[in-house]
Amino acid sequence: MSAEDLPKNEANVLKGHEGAVLTARFNRDGNYCLSGGKDRTIRLWNPHRGIHIKTYKSHGREVRDVHVTPDNSKICSCGGDRQVFYWDVSTGRVIRKFRGHDSEVNAVKFNEYASVVVSAGYDRSLRAWDCRSHSTEPIQIIDTFLDSVMSVCLTKTEIIAGSVDGTVRTFDIRIGRELSDDLGQPVNCISLSNDGNCVLASCLDSTLRLLDRTTGELLQEYKGHTCKSFKMDCCLTNSDAHVVGGSEDGRLFFWDLVDASVVSSFRAHSSVASFSLFLYT
Amino acid sequence: MESDEDDFVFFGTPIEREEDTISRKKKSISEASGQLRTLAPWKQEVRDEEGRRRFHGAFSGGFSAGYFNTVGSKEGWTPQTFTSSRKKRAEIKQQDLSNFLDDDEKAELEGNSLGTSMQFDTFGFTAAEIARKQSEKEQNERPSAIPGPAPDELVLPATDPIGVRLMLKMGWRRGQSVKSSKSTHYDARREARKAFLALAGLKDAEVEDASETAAELPIDDVIQLQKSTPVYVLNPKKDMYGLGYDPFKGAPEFRENKRPHLPGNKESGTKRLLLKKEGLFSFKSRNVAPGFGIGALEELDAEDEDVYASGYDFEAFVEEEESEEPTRLTIEDKKKSSSKEHGILPGFKAASNSDYQSERFDPPVVPKDFVPHHKFPATLEVNQKLTEVPPSEVPPPMDNNLKVLIEGVATLVARCGTLFEELSREKNQSNPLFDFLNGGNGHDYYKRKLWEARQKHCYTSKPLLNEKIAPNTQTMTAETRGNILGEKPLNRTAKDLKPVVPATNDFNLQFHLSDTFTEPASFVEPTEIAKPFQHDAAKQERFEQYLKEKYHGGLRTIDAGGSSKMSEAARARERLEFEAAAGAITQGKWGKESQLSGQQILGASAGLGLQFTSGGSEACIIINTVSQAEETIKKSIFPKREEFQWRPALLLCKRFDLIDPYMGKPPPPPRLRSKLDSLIFMPDYIKSSTEERSAISSPQLDEKRRTNVMDAEDKVEVENVEAENVERPVDLYKAIFSDDSDDEEETINFNQHDDPTKKIEAANTTLSRLMADDFLESLGKELGLEVPPDQPYQLPQATQKATVQDISQKYEPIDSASHKTTDTQITKELNHEIMKKEIKIKQYDSSSDDGKGRKRSKRVYDSTDDLSDGYRDRHSSSRHKERKKEHRKHSKHRHHESPSRSRHSGHKGYRDSKKDKKTRRD
Repeated sequence: MSAEDLPKNEANVLKGHEGAVLTARFNRDGNYCLSGGKDRTIRLWNPHRGIHIKTYKSHGREVRDVHVTPDNSKICSCGGDRQVFYWDVSTGRVIRKFRGHDSEVNAVKFNEYASVVVSAGYDRSLRAWDCRSHSTEPIQIIDTFLDSVMSVCLTKTEIIAGSVDGTVRTFDIRIGRELSDDLGQPVNCISLSNDGNCVLASCLDSTLRLLDRTTGELLQEYKGHTCKSFKMDCCLTNSDAHVVGGSEDGRLFFWDLVDASVVSSFRAHSSVASFSLFLYT
Repeated sequence: MESDEDDFVFFGTPIEREEDTISRKKKSISEASGQLRTLAPWKQEVRDEEGRRRFHGAFSGGFSAGYFNTVGSKEGWTPQTFTSSRKKRAEIKQQDLSNFLDDDEKAELEGNSLGTSMQFDTFGFTAAEIARKQSEKEQNERPSAIPGPAPDELVLPATDPIGVRLMLKMGWRRGQSVKSSKSTHYDARREARKAFLALAGLKDAEVEDASETAAELPIDDVIQLQKSTPVYVLNPKKDMYGLGYDPFKGAPEFRENKRPHLPGNKESGTKRLLLKKEGLFSFKSRNVAPGFGIGALEELDAEDEDVYASGYDFEAFVEEEESEEPTRLTIEDKKKSSSKEHGILPGFKAASNSDYQSERFDPPVVPKDFVPHHKFPATLEVNQKLTEVPPSEVPPPMDNNLKVLIEGVATLVARCGTLFEELSREKNQSNPLFDFLNGGNGHDYYKRKLWEARQKHCYTSKPLLNEKIAPNTQTMTAETRGNILGEKPLNRTAKDLKPVVPATNDFNLQFHLSDTFTEPASFVEPTEIAKPFQHDAAKQERFEQYLKEKYHGGLRTIDAGGSSKMSEAARARERLEFEAAAGAITQGKWGKESQLSGQQILGASAGLGLQFTSGGSEACIIINTVSQAEETIKKSIFPKREEFQWRPALLLCKRFDLIDPYMGKPPPPPRLRSKLDSLIFMPDYIKSSTEERSAISSPQLDEKRRTNVMDAEDKVEVENVEAENVERPVDLYKAIFSDDSDDEEETINFNQHDDPTKKIEAANTTLSRLMADDFLESLGKELGLEVPPDQPYQLPQATQKATVQDISQKYEPIDSASHKTTDTQITKELNHEIMKKEIKIKQYDSSSDDGKGRKRSKRVYDSTDDLSDGYRDRHSSSRHKERKKEHRKHSKHRHHESPSRSRHSGHKGYRDSKKDKKTRRD
């Protein structure tokens, strides 16, 4: 994908939330879109046609993150009500609620087999929940973080999480070790590259940092946007050629992956936009 | 019939079934008579060649079909059960055709398959062995007409070598030594040869050449069946050659030399071998001595001779010789070459004149002035180093980092030798920073620095040599001179730079690792360059003084950092300024800022968090630059990778479809919390520790405190120390809020020893509480019994020592005694300002309580002060409730005490007046 092909115009506006939208996620194949916001609902959209498909209501407080299984059958979500919800997509019912976080839950993800939900909380912990059994107790609590855990990513064998304590920690289940990469700056959001070799961390010093996962080396820094107090999402494009990040002034930035130059930036939102983008082109 | 049956070979255990035997008989009969055809088809039975009934199918066989003949069970085929569990995985059984075949069918099939057979057994060994075994077995089974073991010859297959077979044909039998009748007419000749050989001294001419296959020939003509001894017994193999390999094949002469070293069978061998020579089968008799004539049968076979092999063999032999006894060989060689008497190889003649003459050289002549004493090259090196022409002075490269790097490398090279230089050159070939090693940027400078460093090193490491060498060096720099004279280099600022260096240039780290790192000369920049306080000469002077002292180390002089005229505060400020300036100077050097104005330094100091210095807009810029520098430092530090052990839960592994890496291992010890971690918990900890303090405060102690407020603070301090070791309470909030009865009194009490603003604040809350009517009532009652606020000071010391048990008893006398004073005070206070009075009331109130956990309340307030409003609201409301309860309690308590009760009425007046005041104020 060259710079010219980068999206510039909004394709559709999905209107329906009665309040701030805190998260928006595509499903795996990019055909659907889930969003969660301060109106305590999760909404399922067809972003290509701009259709609102379904609303999931059960959250007691704002929805901070949502994730859908690869087979599109289940959703997990989390938010200010300190619980992780496990939904059935078609019926719209909550299958399970996982309680255990001591405070707000910032991020949630399914694993590869959709058997485990891993949630990251303000209570400095990561918790893994079992979707297969009926237990509502967490399988495991990882509490080595020193501050709120903001974002979590899963691979087939690893749990990667970024925390406000400035670390990106990788928990390798296969080897049984924890790698802590201290960036020195609060980490807002992390995102894996599509080849899985790099992790992109959005730091609160208005910098996106690209780390090599095997060595922990800092590969590149992307600057130009503002990210100082809000959780702004970042990710890499599908071809791993560009880095996408949001700015607190409502702009969207595209950097070249290699030379870290701002390829394009445009105003996407009128105010602070906490957005999530997973481009499927 | 019976004999027929005997001939059957039975496999397995026979089944004694009458029907079977009968039917079999019938069958054989019918077969014999050809009646089978006449039987009805359903009565016919198909049988195999062994008479077993064949399997016809599940429905046609009757009772025994598929059971006796084919499948192993009555029911026929047993269905297989498939079980597979996680622990015990079922193997996938590979079924092939043989699983479904009877053994006769298998045999049939085998006819088509490839296999080894005895027929082509190359060595004839296994086949013979098998055949023999089989025959033995057979013999055991069946008594034969011939008694005794069957002769091997009969059983053995024809896999013997052709020679043996031929011999067998000729009448030779196995195990019998060969006796030839033909040999008789060679006898005379043999005798003669024997004599000759004895003469020649070739006693043991040929041991080895006894052929392996041939047997010995007896001398006498008696035909005698003699068991031949196997050759391997006679000639045990003692070398390491391969079987049948003869190293002396081409050169039998060397065998002689070899022999003496071979121990054993010398004696026995001689006779035998001599005899053997004439043996019929001694076809390898190659070592025929010349002049002895060759018999018809002893001729050398032309085909047997390997022309090309001889050289190799010879070599092999020589090598062997040498390895066995090298010294001896050489000695022998010498002898052979010098004296030609003996030891000449058979078949060789000693040359009359030898071409080879060993040339002899005289030992080198030792010079007369040679002194056998070794001089070590170190001094030489030093000499050379110092005498070598110093490279010209070169200005340092523009890049500061490069400069530092060059200097560091130069020092190290001087210290560790050129080896280090080569090493680092190799290592950093790709690094452009190290170009100076290869003649790139900064090479000249490096050369110069290296020279300097070497000189320095020489002087420092070999001070003793200096006296000698010093006169040699004509080109002496100021530096070297200074070194010689033991002068201290002026620029000790370098020392200060040290901590900065590793942060900014991490490539320098390795150099700093060597503890004996000497600062390169260029670090030494005169401090005069940096004059941050130029506008103030006095100040600048002081600053220099400060610097000097700073780098001098040791204790500071009393008036360090400021003149005596200055005030303490000003001096402190100046000290900080100087420090900042010094820091800025070093930073400026490293951060490529050569000049710093005084103001900038002020700014820098402000940037360093010193709030009392005024920073203008300029300062902000400096801060920015400083922060930029910090950023670069950070960048070099971060990201920092750490690795820990982490134990994933078993279920998590399961769900991720992974194998638990810690399966079966004991759980790891809990990881130690880092310092940062404990720092984060700090506020929590403080709170909790205060809780502890209150928790452990015994009633006795509290009582003491109540009576002696002045001492309270000290005691708190003491307690603080004690409390350090106490465990943390379970729940902080519980501890704060659940036990409100205690809290409440104390929260008020705490005002007694706190600053006025807090007093007022607390007073307001108390005032609101006072509004309640019932409270006022109870307060009035209480006041009658209460201890006045000032009372504690005057209390006798005895109270302090009171035990917990008598506390309650002691209350009464104290209360009653002090009551009057309380009254007067109260009335006085009525005239005071409202606010103050309220505070006082509060004080009474607090002192009225038994003072349990008073200290805690203070702490709680401290800790809760910063809590959110919500907490406070909760707190106060509960307090309020509790208060009511307590007053009731108190009043009850007082009721059985007649003296106190009487006083209640006396205080009505006070209470009323209070009420009035309230209403007035409202």
